[in-house]
Amino acid sequence: MSSSEGKPMSSRLKSWPMWMFMAIVTVCLLAVGAGREGGPLTQQERIDVITKRLACPTCDGESVFVSQASAAVNIKNEVARQVASGQRDDEEIIAYIEERFGGRVLLVPRTTGFDSLVWVLPVSVLVCSVAGLAAAFRRWQREQGLVPSDDDRAMVARLLAEEPQDHDEVPR
Amino acid sequence: MNDSENSSPLNAALEGRSRRSSLIAGAVGVVVALFFVVLVVSSPEDRETAASPLLGNPAPVVRSTTLENEQFELSRRRGSWVMFNFFNSTCVPCRQEHPELVAFHEAQASVATPTELYSIINDDSDNAVRAFFEANQGGWSKVRDDDGSIAVAFGVAKVPETWIIDPNGFVRMRFIGAVTKDLLTEKLTELQTAFEGM
Amino acid sequence: MFGAAGVGGPIGRAFLLVGLVGALFGFVSCVMGMRQKDEKVLRLSLRFATLSAISAVGAFVAMEYAMITRDFSLDYIQNVGSRSTPALYNFTAVWSALEGSILMWLLALALMTAWVAWRYRAKVTDPLVATALATMFVTAFFFFLLTIGPANPFAPGDTGVTDGPGPNPLLQNHILVLFHPPILYIGYVGFTIPFAFAIGALVTGRLGEGWLLETRRWALFSWGFLTFGIVLGGWWSYEVLGWSGVWAWDPVENASLLPWITGTAYIHSVLVQERRGMLRVWNLSLLVATFSLTILGTFLTRSGILNSVHAFSESDIGPYLLTFFAIVVVVSLVLIGWRGDRLRSPGIIDSPLSREGAFLANNVLFSVFAFVVLLGTVFPLIVEALQNRQIVVGEPFFDSLATPIGIVMLFLMCVAPVLPWRKASTELLRQRLFWPAWCGVAALAVAVLLGATGLEPLLTFGLGGFATGAALRQLVLATRRQKWRGLVGRANGGMIVHIGVIMISVALAASNSYTRSQELTLTKGVPASFGGHTFELTGFVEESDARRTSIKVDISVDGGKSYRPAIHKFTSMGQNVGTPSVKSSWSKDIYLTLEPPVKPTSDEAKIKVFIKPMMTWMWAGSILMAIGTVLSAFPGRRRRPTDPVSAPVPGALTGTSP
Repeated sequence: MSSSEGKPMSSRLKSWPMWMFMAIVTVCLLAVGAGREGGPLTQQERIDVITKRLACPTCDGESVFVSQASAAVNIKNEVARQVASGQRDDEEIIAYIEERFGGRVLLVPRTTGFDSLVWVLPVSVLVCSVAGLAAAFRRWQREQGLVPSDDDRAMVARLLAEEPQDHDEVPR
Repeated sequence: MNDSENSSPLNAALEGRSRRSSLIAGAVGVVVALFFVVLVVSSPEDRETAASPLLGNPAPVVRSTTLENEQFELSRRRGSWVMFNFFNSTCVPCRQEHPELVAFHEAQASVATPTELYSIINDDSDNAVRAFFEANQGGWSKVRDDDGSIAVAFGVAKVPETWIIDPNGFVRMRFIGAVTKDLLTEKLTELQTAFEGM
Repeated sequence: MFGAAGVGGPIGRAFLLVGLVGALFGFVSCVMGMRQKDEKVLRLSLRFATLSAISAVGAFVAMEYAMITRDFSLDYIQNVGSRSTPALYNFTAVWSALEGSILMWLLALALMTAWVAWRYRAKVTDPLVATALATMFVTAFFFFLLTIGPANPFAPGDTGVTDGPGPNPLLQNHILVLFHPPILYIGYVGFTIPFAFAIGALVTGRLGEGWLLETRRWALFSWGFLTFGIVLGGWWSYEVLGWSGVWAWDPVENASLLPWITGTAYIHSVLVQERRGMLRVWNLSLLVATFSLTILGTFLTRSGILNSVHAFSESDIGPYLLTFFAIVVVVSLVLIGWRGDRLRSPGIIDSPLSREGAFLANNVLFSVFAFVVLLGTVFPLIVEALQNRQIVVGEPFFDSLATPIGIVMLFLMCVAPVLPWRKASTELLRQRLFWPAWCGVAALAVAVLLGATGLEPLLTFGLGGFATGAALRQLVLATRRQKWRGLVGRANGGMIVHIGVIMISVALAASNSYTRSQELTLTKGVPASFGGHTFELTGFVEESDARRTSIKVDISVDGGKSYRPAIHKFTSMGQNVGTPSVKSSWSKDIYLTLEPPVKPTSDEAKIKVFIKPMMTWMWAGSILMAIGTVLSAFPGRRRRPTDPVSAPVPGALTGTSP
């Protein structure tokens, strides 16, 4: 016997099969969209991509793309020159700049050594929080089954019999 | 308080909760305390000369024009000690160190093998630089770096910086910040002695 | 015209000293009045609060007077004043540097302290109110201390100085500088009031919902100003800084974002405490965190520590701010720990599939987000302090972590508005989320049809549509029941704010992923094309005055109206500032910048063209957020607690009413 018999039309519309259909449509759309390529980058776009990965050496963490400082403009010009000459690819250009200015010009910390902490910590905090949340929910499901004992009830009755005092409100 | 109250599972749950919250409060406190300790305890390191991946390696190619509109090429200066001073007429430490450079340059005139001093103009207009040198002396060549390629080649982000290149074209020393005549002379003499000894 | 030079300094300083004394005595009168239960002493606190407020106003006015009259006897005016700065930018120059902005903070704080003292003058005998007031006096005292000591705006300067360089050229370009800092500061300082009441509640042990209800509107008000201030900062970045983006994750921006993150979590989580008396520790912690983060943010941006960790120990203001931050955090932790037993709530969260469960998940998510932003901002400091080398944690780090977090937030926005309190069944969710989910699919389909690529932007579009559907559903149901009143009140105003947030997220996703850019060298009279638009250089405009020389180019876009990107050279600072020109429409912005060097005689100019999709949606979404916040502040129709939250779904198996 179908579970949707005897229900109004709108309810039947919102049943599991319709949701499944919706899910399939969504996955197809995502697959089509995520799968296709964006098209070639213009030269300026390639420069932008590279300069967004380099840090301006005299600023507080701004990328070369964002910064107007003279050191950043110099690096931008150098990147533009190298992109125009077509000799090097993105990684090589970044390595070239890093060779001259040092590690402080990399906008993203490396994934090795002490610097990897900046990636490891957020992920571990996220995992721990989700785990903690799940554990808390499970604990509460368990506690739902707890029943107050007779002594608890007696204590509550005693307190209710006392003079009521409203401590919590700010007097108006 | 009744014994059976203590052992009721409800109470146990509540106790567990307060233990957990103290734990979390304690953890937060420890993290914050560590943060402070790290910030307060740190101390700077003072160094006269600075590091660079170029030290001990051949200097980058430098090809440009001077303010007198002559060609300048670093590779053609082989055989002499070369000193580059990255400079900008509005930068305060550059202006402060300028008299020291003037004194250094004049002292070099009476040395057997004088060190060639060049100013690399960083993000400045020709007129401003000419006006500055007219007002403050300094008879050495000033090399243009309009697109900043020389600064990038040496990894210079902030002026002033001073670099020493040996007669074979190898980079020997880098100073970040303002320098004095004595510091330059002292370090130069060290390098020259080591070079001759090779 | 250049009035009594030299008088502004001593007068201003006198005002600040009076304010300091007023704050100190205000604190003393609150504490002693409470101990001795002496009402007359407590009532004195109102007078002291008024005194402090008048002093702060007087000091600020004295500073503006000195700035307007170009009183170069003061060191601060020597640093940021100039005879050639236009009147507007001269006025705003007061808050263009450290000492003046502390003065502005102080102005807001002292006025708010006086407001609290006045508003609760009849209840000052209540220990909770008196403690809250005392906390505000302590904070005001600290900031007065800063202006007397390390950040003295009225310090005398070198003698014989007759002109100055003016404020930073970037702050002389756009009228936004008049609005963005004050609005942001009202947001920052506003959170002091709920914090003070939280301390009052903790100290007196009255941790029910009374203190919360008192400060509910204040928290929303401050959050609204903080949000608007951050949005204005993004707009300023776009219109003035010329790199074509709105957010660069730099430390100053992060300092403003951190209290916003915890503040947003707070205004959501507080609803659970009002409804069911739960999540009390969360709410107190979030409130404490928000206030502490405003102090920490000021410390990070003002102590010079970001340039170099070692600059911190040389700066004057750093140690003060850090100490105050330490005191706030330690005192709050101790208080929360001490009152732990009273913070136990009577209820538990029955099921993760409930509104309480969703808000708890929301708290966790926002806390993780705040942790990520804080870690990224301070990690370079820690590395430099421990290992003496400089690293940078920049945009790519924040983007790669914030995007997934944002997507989960969007998902929560889809589901939470339809969740009932206590418990929901999947049947209920299936019913209520049906049409919103189809909205999401529709949005996704439209995006794919228009050629969108990339999993993250597509998820953003789909979930954005879904969440909009959920918000609209709530609004439609509410207006059906209550007519126009279905648009006011917390739940409904909140949905409008959500729609604004969704618009902003979608705009960010689109402009971050689909911006096209190209550099064009234009010859006068010869059009070039890019991205389906033509650009033609029609002329050069050169202007100069005492302050700056500007060169602008006229670019005709698509043969129509001309847009004028420019480069200004400021004579005093020798700095070049580029100003972009933007052609906006609902589907995209065409963003033009002029690239140096510019030679008008050669009839050629290099411009950079950015085609940024959907940027206008960002500003429209921000306006919607502002409208929604104002609507939230109005009381909705008074409901009986047993009334259903939304219209019942026919045939739904909900058992008890939600």
